[in-house]
Amino acid sequence: MVKLRARCILVGDASVGKSALSQMFRSDGAHFQKNYSMTAGVELVVKSVQIPETSDSVELFIFDSAGKETFAEACEKLWGQPSVLCLVFDVSSDVSFRSCSLWLERVRAHCQGLQVPGVLVGNKSDLSSRREVETVVAQEWAQSQGLEYHETSAKEMENCEAPFLSLAQAFYALYQDRLQTIQTLA
Amino acid sequence: MIDAALISSGTQVILSASSDENYPPEHVIDGKAETFWISTGMFPQEFILRFADTLKITLVTIHSYNVKNLKMEKSTSSDATEFEGIAEKEFEHTEGHLQANDFSLSGTTATHLRFIITSGYDHFVSVHKVTVEGIR
Repeated sequence: MVKLRARCILVGDASVGKSALSQMFRSDGAHFQKNYSMTAGVELVVKSVQIPETSDSVELFIFDSAGKETFAEACEKLWGQPSVLCLVFDVSSDVSFRSCSLWLERVRAHCQGLQVPGVLVGNKSDLSSRREVETVVAQEWAQSQGLEYHETSAKEMENCEAPFLSLAQAFYALYQDRLQTIQTLA
Repeated sequence: MIDAALISSGTQVILSASSDENYPPEHVIDGKAETFWISTGMFPQEFILRFADTLKITLVTIHSYNVKNLKMEKSTSSDATEFEGIAEKEFEHTEGHLQANDFSLSGTTATHLRFIITSGYDHFVSVHKVTVEGIR
């Protein structure tokens, strides 16, 4: 049995629903905050994810970072060396989607050349009449950047666990892979 | 001169920040480079060795993989308190073989050694063997 620990950097523009998503994940869907409250710094959410069909788990330390530009620089200082990345946009805002490449660049600057598994999350999938970013478009971009794509609705409690589960699994796979390499060394 | 880090010399690991039960920190002091302790994510990582007696340490050798920065601290108390820094080093990156690094310590006395890994060349780092040369 092993318990891995991963530093998960959660970024994206302001008000795309990063905190809503991480709170839904933390509370298993029990807590959707209806009123918007802007995150000014970094909020830390810690939760363990069980890896299916094993007795192993990954403890995610989610660094829910302010999306507002004014606070972004201060937040970056708290990221340290990221293990995994969760990049969020709002499917009803093309602007928030276009910001993703900038966020990705920012986080990668902290990765020191390490392979950092990541997901792209299109949140607010419930706002179908106001959708500005098509699933295919987001999916294609995600793929080109080596990210796995997920759509969620924190409000409707839809799919909120999936991105985090996928990150935990990717990190676990990385661990297995490194173990194998190290075993061949000695 | 003895290799004081061995389990057979009475040395114990009294703390480690990570543990996969298949790769316990005791692997560091079993005298074999084939067995290892692996960190399980995030930095810093650390482990503390307790010696059977107070030692005058002359040389510490560490065999590891993907460790970048390592700090060594010692304690002369019997209860692993009041650690003070004695060495710090940036290891070179190796690929396909272990890192081997020496620390000459000119007879410093210690009951405990604490190894703090503050960064790595990968998410996970391993320590295969710690050898401590000293006089009781």
